[in-house]
Amino acid sequence: MERSAKRHRVSPIAWAIAPAALLFVLFFILPFGVMAGLSFLSGNPVSNPNVTFTWRHYIRLFDSDLYFDALVATMRIGAVTTGIALLIGYPLAHLMARMHSRIGHAALLMAVIAPLLTGIVVRTFAWMTLLSDRGVINTLAQWLGLAEKPLALMYNEFGVVVGLVHIYVPFMVLTLVGVIGRIDVTLEEAARGLGASRFRAFLEVTLPLSLPGILAGSLLVFALAISAYVTPVLLGGNNVLTLPMLIYQQVSASFNLGFAGALGVVLLVVSLALVFAYNTILGRLTGERQIA
Amino acid sequence: MTRNFSRRSFLKTTGAAAAATAIGAPAVHAQVPVLKTTAWGGKWGEVMKGQIIPAFEKEFKCKVETDSAFPYYPKLQSTPKNAPLYDVLHTNTSEQWQAVVEGLVEPKLSAKDIPNLADVYDYAVSDKICGVSAFTSAIGFGYRTDKGLAAPKSWKDLADPKYSGARGSYIIPVNSLGQMHLMMLGKIYGKGLTDLDAAYKALEQLKPIKMYDFTGGMEKALLSAEVNIGVLHDSGIYRYDGQNQPIAFAAPSEGVLSLEQVWNITPGTKVRELANAYVNFILRPDIQKPLSEAVWYSPSNKKVKLDAKYDEKLYNTEAKVAQLIQVDWKWYNERKDDIDARITRILRG
Amino acid sequence: MSRRFDPGRAAYLTLNGAIVAFLLLPIAVVIIFALNPTPYIAFPPVGVTLRWFVKFFTSAEFMNALWLSSRVAAIVVVLATAIGAMCALAIARGNLPGARLLTTLFLSPLMLPAVLTGLALFQVFMLSGVGRPVWGLVAGHTLVAVPYVLRTTLAVLQNFDRRVEEAAAMLGAPPARVFFEVTLPLIRPGVIAGGIFAFIVSFDQLPISLFLVVPGGETLPVVLLNYIRFDLDGAIAAASMVSIALALSAVLLLERIIGLRAYVRL
Repeated sequence: MERSAKRHRVSPIAWAIAPAALLFVLFFILPFGVMAGLSFLSGNPVSNPNVTFTWRHYIRLFDSDLYFDALVATMRIGAVTTGIALLIGYPLAHLMARMHSRIGHAALLMAVIAPLLTGIVVRTFAWMTLLSDRGVINTLAQWLGLAEKPLALMYNEFGVVVGLVHIYVPFMVLTLVGVIGRIDVTLEEAARGLGASRFRAFLEVTLPLSLPGILAGSLLVFALAISAYVTPVLLGGNNVLTLPMLIYQQVSASFNLGFAGALGVVLLVVSLALVFAYNTILGRLTGERQIA
Repeated sequence: MTRNFSRRSFLKTTGAAAAATAIGAPAVHAQVPVLKTTAWGGKWGEVMKGQIIPAFEKEFKCKVETDSAFPYYPKLQSTPKNAPLYDVLHTNTSEQWQAVVEGLVEPKLSAKDIPNLADVYDYAVSDKICGVSAFTSAIGFGYRTDKGLAAPKSWKDLADPKYSGARGSYIIPVNSLGQMHLMMLGKIYGKGLTDLDAAYKALEQLKPIKMYDFTGGMEKALLSAEVNIGVLHDSGIYRYDGQNQPIAFAAPSEGVLSLEQVWNITPGTKVRELANAYVNFILRPDIQKPLSEAVWYSPSNKKVKLDAKYDEKLYNTEAKVAQLIQVDWKWYNERKDDIDARITRILRG
Repeated sequence: MSRRFDPGRAAYLTLNGAIVAFLLLPIAVVIIFALNPTPYIAFPPVGVTLRWFVKFFTSAEFMNALWLSSRVAAIVVVLATAIGAMCALAIARGNLPGARLLTTLFLSPLMLPAVLTGLALFQVFMLSGVGRPVWGLVAGHTLVAVPYVLRTTLAVLQNFDRRVEEAAAMLGAPPARVFFEVTLPLIRPGVIAGGIFAFIVSFDQLPISLFLVVPGGETLPVVLLNYIRFDLDGAIAAASMVSIALALSAVLLLERIIGLRAYVRL
């Protein structure tokens, strides 16, 4: 792909970033700043004027291996969910992008979107029905003689990952579809014309060209998976502890806004670092030095 | 593409108009005083919004706004004390205690301003309560009746091996029934409600135990036989009355824990008279009756006369309420963070 | 695409079939729940009834919430796609310094648990005296919707053959015309995908809404969550089904008007 001569001046179209910048400054950076500020205070200054500056919340976080474990668990669940979502989402996105039938395409699109619209709480209840000891899968497995005792499909990281993958595969698919659809089919056909098998043409032409989509989709799913609350709680019970669960507990049940803020700051900083690193690595792989 | 832009601008103007209408709405209500309070949803919310609130609004010529988007506490915490988000806070005892400690609600209600306080059972205004407990339910066991197992008689029955793999409790950091059960373990296996060491040991013995984050989850688990026994309040079982479900409530012999619905007033409220009137209203027998019967809560006003089937099962006499065990939430809240950390370690292992 | 390679294609289609089945499995459960007379999720189902749908449609609370959620989501789609697409173009074409950093920044609302974003927004709104107007809710939803649009649009922009634009420019088209008649149509798939996400994200958004809705003006997820705490019956499943039907009709409508073949290469 030829590149036009690099312009070092900032192009006028850069101003198009203004609305987004305004939105973020007002509704994200400012509130986040407030929250980060709270994490250094001993209480909420709004209701309690006698607050003092303190490192207490951060010390608590790093002191106890419980919270560190939660951070690690969160990242691990995020990474596994992303990997599986990619493996599952790619074939479907490929099918959708290459589908000629308009009806077939619309049907697949609806099949992909429908899970997202059931609503997060109802959908997680549905997974509980499927995965629990007396749920659909276990009942069928025992009836078919495949298992003697109920399989522990829930209240562990397995159940959480299944639930998260299910919710986020559609995001992966829809992100990939646009990119794969843009790949010139004639390039693949040329490869096949030169004697490559379909699989090899895919591996050496389609896959590399869809790397930006893989990058975008993975980032999206990872970010969502590490910030998920409802699914890990309902499908993991007390056996899985992620940072969002901790944050939620601190906000709603432990009356501890400062600590919640500290957890949020740590989660955000770690995630941003990971995302930036991932961005950079894959950016180098695709040869894109300009765009993230 | 031009089509897109005109559609976008059309939608934008409609959106702006809708937003403007929404902002304009409160201005209309500025003419009557507004009372801001909280209310649970579901059946409770239906009765509140359908009957109770309209009756109050009519009698006192005001408007009542009820917030049903739980959690309430962080929202109250985030508003200044002299302009609190709520005038009256209805929540459970554990939160009310924390609110008192942080100065967000009054430590004691005034019997002069709320005359009906004189008619409530002692537990409703005991020193374990700040505000008034207008209703309560009893925490014991919900269990399945079709598993050929005898009804549980003691809190210790939860550890019985015959329930292995089929017992349920709550995610303790977020659920007050779970927290109360923990304290109960201290009393049953140790020296009292504050014996945490005994409680932790007992919790260890209860593993594996399925944990839910709110009572609805436990109800569902019982109904689908995911668990055969679980810590649950009587309301959670009785509300299925008439549906022929093989579930029942058992009050352990050592006593039942009290899950109170507590009303309290914020110190910074600008409508103090109205707030007091509202709490007084909730305590009226003719108001307590429909609410109690809608969700099977036990009313705290001694003068309430419930229909026979409710009267039989709920805690509506001096003798019955004497069985209610109240915990020291102030003590628990002070240690909550440490307890939560310890519990998570025990259960995760 | 030739259909000569049957075994490979068969495997490919089977794999995709399994994936679609996986996606739709929980929906099947929810449908059963919505039609099952028993007041809790049970399997196997004992019958068919429409009473949960009746309960849903006759409840003023549910209907108001459905209406509010739909309105807010519609506005959020417009705002998020406009803001997000412009942002993507700026980052991809604007030669801005630190483009990668900027993209990461704009992605950050996704990584923060929405409960914190909601609480922080609530606190700022209350402190500044803004209160909780509907536009505040819209702003909160737009904030978490923009990253999706940004990501999908950027992904398409990266695979872009800029020679098409250059060819148009060389043929004499002014930059504005190149933009509207070449660039925008070609990034449409990314913008549309982002728009769909924006709708879903707003319609299903829970934690931020919990903090920013007012009594009487609650979105559907908030009403459902509170309902579940007290009444665990099929009405929530019915609500689910209605949400799906609503959004799918919107998607079908979109398909008719814009032609979702925009996804497939022109």
